[in-house]
Amino acid sequence: MRTIALLGQPNSGKSTLFNALTGSHQHVGNWPGKTVERAEGFFTQGEELYRVVDLPGSYGLTANSAEEVVTRTYIEHGYADIVCIIVDASQLERSLYMLADFAGVKSPVMLVLNMMDVAEQKGKKIDVEKIEKILNIPVLGFTASDLDSYPKFFETLNRALEKKAKISSEKIRDIVEREGEKSHVENLKKLEDLIASLKFDNRERFWVASKLLENDSLVRSEVETAVTPEHWKEIKEILDAEGSDGGLLTGEAKYRFVSEVLRDASEGEEKSMKLSRFDKIATHRIWGKIVAFFILVLTLAVSMMIAVPIIASCFGLQHVAEPLVVQMCEKFGWWPSVASFINGVIIGGLSVTVAMMSFVFAILVTFGLMEDTGYLARSSYVFDSWLSRLGLHGKAFMPLFSGLACTGGAVCGTRVLDTRGQRLFAMVLLWSIPCGSKVAVVLFLASVFFGSAAPLFGLVYVAMIFASFWLSSKLFGNKLMPVNERVGMIMELPPYHKPHWKILLKTVARNVWAVFKKAIAVIWFVSLLFWLISYSKDGNVEHSVLYTIGNAIEPFTQIFGMRWQLFISYLGGVFSKEASLGVMSVVFASTNDAFSLVSRNAAGANLGEMMRAVVSIPEALAFIFASMFNIPCVLAMGTTYRETHSLKWMLAIAGYYFAISLGLAFIVYHIALWVL
Amino acid sequence: MCLSELQENQKGLIQKINGDSRFISRVVSMGLPPSSPFLVLQNDGRSPILVYSHDTMIAINRKECMQIDVEMA
Repeated sequence: MRTIALLGQPNSGKSTLFNALTGSHQHVGNWPGKTVERAEGFFTQGEELYRVVDLPGSYGLTANSAEEVVTRTYIEHGYADIVCIIVDASQLERSLYMLADFAGVKSPVMLVLNMMDVAEQKGKKIDVEKIEKILNIPVLGFTASDLDSYPKFFETLNRALEKKAKISSEKIRDIVEREGEKSHVENLKKLEDLIASLKFDNRERFWVASKLLENDSLVRSEVETAVTPEHWKEIKEILDAEGSDGGLLTGEAKYRFVSEVLRDASEGEEKSMKLSRFDKIATHRIWGKIVAFFILVLTLAVSMMIAVPIIASCFGLQHVAEPLVVQMCEKFGWWPSVASFINGVIIGGLSVTVAMMSFVFAILVTFGLMEDTGYLARSSYVFDSWLSRLGLHGKAFMPLFSGLACTGGAVCGTRVLDTRGQRLFAMVLLWSIPCGSKVAVVLFLASVFFGSAAPLFGLVYVAMIFASFWLSSKLFGNKLMPVNERVGMIMELPPYHKPHWKILLKTVARNVWAVFKKAIAVIWFVSLLFWLISYSKDGNVEHSVLYTIGNAIEPFTQIFGMRWQLFISYLGGVFSKEASLGVMSVVFASTNDAFSLVSRNAAGANLGEMMRAVVSIPEALAFIFASMFNIPCVLAMGTTYRETHSLKWMLAIAGYYFAISLGLAFIVYHIALWVL
Repeated sequence: MCLSELQENQKGLIQKINGDSRFISRVVSMGLPPSSPFLVLQNDGRSPILVYSHDTMIAINRKECMQIDVEMA
């Protein structure tokens, strides 16, 4: 098996290439011991099996963030048989910087000039053969979204694997010596001499010395442990004298190298650039936000349009299937518990999952579109000032906002964020953003107990959500997004592109299927658990394990102002918000319906009355506040598990919200007891 | 002068970038090394500044702009 590492800047089309190459043969996990996502996939060509490693995107090889450390470490150890550098042909000068930064790493390499079609439209003429001749490595002019052009890719790949050509840093060194300021050049030479006795696997000495001069932390610690203390003292003196200027010397030289490569190989005067009319609006301080809101609301409306019929048919089918199952069990003489199990766990769980997948699908398609077209970056630009206060990138606005439609879907939408820390933190925040159902349940409860004062709860709720953001950023923010890794906003607004529908839909379909598999496992597990403890032969709750447990822990749950009926309703809310009302109608209204977690016609008509008769005001307050920050639903748990690739993280977030919601219930209950 | 002092549609040349090595490597790898020519696409006095250089549109916070010395071209 041969390993290909994909290396490229963000927006270079790296993931399009990765997805097209590997299709459904992908595995996404974490890099060992790192909070960074690792995507790898496989494909076969002829007889040979290839592994493709999609290295986290970065603009260069200096290791500043956790993602960049992963990419750098992988590259400098030469784990891959070939490194495939992907650059955007329509922004050749900028994106070839990656190649210049790579020069000096002794791994076989090939260069893919992607988006040649866009470059042509922009009136650029690129002489691929000439570039190949100058660099002396295999170079391919390519359009990753054009699935017919892949034979050419494989041909170049084979050529590269055969030739094993590397790219040396010699030319960059020449430029540094020729153009650089003397004192800096002297320092670079001194550094090279000081590390002359060291062996660097897979890297030229000049490359290591340049990274040292750039004050790269990985190289610094590597050299510090390898040289004698006297040498390190000298090295440190040079580095201290250089301060941060060293990076400017080598950076400038690398760009000069790129423009020398392109001087004869690329034509097309840079047209006088102007902000397009749409961009003028999309990046406007006020209009830009309005446009983004409009697009988001449209997105949510479209997701609803896709989701509602699917949800309706799911629950419709469920109503058809359930009596059939009962009939079948009677016919075969099976125990009624079998029918109850099939209906309550298997069918119920399946229909909830399928229904909610429509949200996941809709959110992934629209976010994919925004990313493909380049609009996402514009919306991030206008919202960055809001989100940077929480330490998040402006990109997080879209997934956070879509949390109002469906927490589980929005959790999948956090993929647009670049670092795993950002993604995890966005997920933490998302769990506190109420979806439509949660708002409905909270307001229903508020109106049952407080009538016309219910809207007041809406206001308090909004304030509490922002308070929880603050708390989350204090608790998780610094750990997930270290302050010294934040660079403020310096971001690229990529040119607009036509979306690649075919690849987009294929990728989304694959992702939805993967999410579905994880979610259904979690949902079935939780439904089984609930079913087991709530099952009673005659449908009377008082004969279930749940009742026994509920009574046993009542002295404890009373601390939070929740008698056992309320507490198990609260636990039902972990499954779904509707389930929370469903449980209530069973335990309060004694509807004697088969205990169902997924019944949609949950709240019986007289539920409100029954509750008002038994539940006191402090208890009601405790329950409402607990519901606000309860775990959103089992689908949110399932998708969070899938997207974090970590059971530990999912449970940590769940535990955090348990603590917040019960803590809040405790405070509210005791204040109410004291005041009233 | 610093980057944010340039007006819309003015051209400039990056002179020097001040800050820690992390900041410098970010700005350089994004496409704004010293001596790059650029064009200010948008500077409304409040939002981050939009510049165009090396075929790339880049948004930079006003605070970060203070760390980038430029000259008018």
